[in-house]
Amino acid sequence: MKLFLRLCYNGTSFDPRSEMSPESEWEPKLLGFLCRWCSYAGADLAGTSRKKYPANIRIIKVPCSGRVDSLFILKALRLGFDGVLVSGCHPGDCHYQTGNYRARRRIAIIKKFLEYLGVEPQRLQASWVSASEGGKFAEVVTDVTQDLKEVGPNQLFERKKNGAKTKARSEGAARAKED
Amino acid sequence: MEQKLRQEAKALLEQKKIDWIIGFEAGSLKFTTTPLITKDAADTERLVINPFITNNLASFLTEMKGRVAIVAKGCESRSIVSLIQDNKVAREDLVILGVPCPGIIDLAKIERLVGKERDELDDISRDGDKVSVKVNGKKKDFTASDVLFDHCLACELPTPQEYDILLGEERKPSPELKVSGQNIAALKELTSTERWASWEKELSRCIRCYACRNVCPACFCQRCFVEETEPQWVMPMPRWQDNLIFQIIRNIHVAGRCTDCGECERVCPVNIPLRSLTREMYDIVDELFKFKSGMDKDALPLMVHYEQEEAEDLFR
Repeated sequence: MKLFLRLCYNGTSFDPRSEMSPESEWEPKLLGFLCRWCSYAGADLAGTSRKKYPANIRIIKVPCSGRVDSLFILKALRLGFDGVLVSGCHPGDCHYQTGNYRARRRIAIIKKFLEYLGVEPQRLQASWVSASEGGKFAEVVTDVTQDLKEVGPNQLFERKKNGAKTKARSEGAARAKED
Repeated sequence: MEQKLRQEAKALLEQKKIDWIIGFEAGSLKFTTTPLITKDAADTERLVINPFITNNLASFLTEMKGRVAIVAKGCESRSIVSLIQDNKVAREDLVILGVPCPGIIDLAKIERLVGKERDELDDISRDGDKVSVKVNGKKKDFTASDVLFDHCLACELPTPQEYDILLGEERKPSPELKVSGQNIAALKELTSTERWASWEKELSRCIRCYACRNVCPACFCQRCFVEETEPQWVMPMPRWQDNLIFQIIRNIHVAGRCTDCGECERVCPVNIPLRSLTREMYDIVDELFKFKSGMDKDALPLMVHYEQEEAEDLFR
């Protein structure tokens, strides 16, 4: 959470793509908001049971999937993440009784609305992963990464007019184009 | 209707049943009206009801103290019910003077049809489904569906559902969704990239005056996220990226409260088709959760309520 807030404080100067070396093949950057009680433990289990899943996901631990604000999702896309994954406890298993039911309503609305606006539906994904489903977590991350590879880099908020791109962003785009 | 409103408002104020009355008075420009908020019984003579009462008066309610009487068309009554659902106003503090509304005339549409500024028009009168405009002594007739606001064409509740005094004959709703939803239907024909590009184009005009937010009865946050600085979610500078994020988040925030009253689109100084956002959100909420905002004052707000099984197809 702190990491994400720090990103937000830095405004748009942060470029998730800058972490990659220019020669490397384009890899999608996925931001995962995982609920502290289920999905985060599920991710942990995937690690301890040595399940393989793509390293494209950056994980932020949230207290509950209900904590995920629509602003987090939009900010992540604005910062240049290629996709956002929100994951929480299965409906009925929420540590706070109803958090994930609320999250479900909110995410459903955001997903549909973004799709209408012209954001590829693959960019916002949500899943239910319990603490015992390490395998499912690995599967979800693999699938989502695959989806993102198909839709390509996130250029939603790139500036396209008159080549007036900022340096970091144009480099990122150029890299993406080469791929 | 106007006379009855004046009498009722005067009586209510004189009997000290209310502290304030919110209504409409004639505006300083031709054909326009402006909100009138008063506690003086003599001022009730200035109250008007005509085909130009555009504002959604419910947006003043959250700032009022004491008992308030409010003139409410169908859309206002829905906004009021939505505020009651959210515990923003108490029903017992309100006297709702219901106005059955035949739809409000959009002066911009008339200007476009006639090709003259509103100052050059002599008279606009409405008789049932016919609207006649007098210019230079000549009379031009239009059908009501040509000159009413788009959101009025989609109106599902012309007569308030929630009222204390009804000031006229009840009207049956006759929504013309095809006409009012043209813009959205056209957008849905496009590919997602084209749609995004069209929003980029529209929102690059935005000057971030926040008129849409300030006029909205559903936008009642004490402090808006756009004004937060720690963290700064969106830049205050009017760049299209941040303008678009502002509109997206605003629409998500008012989901389940927005009654598609069309005020945001009307007040926009740069004519961004904001109703294409709000209406779509209204339809999404209706489709996913069978929830129509502002219809039932005892229903729980959209984001408070939940069902055991819903929208599961969107989750892995």
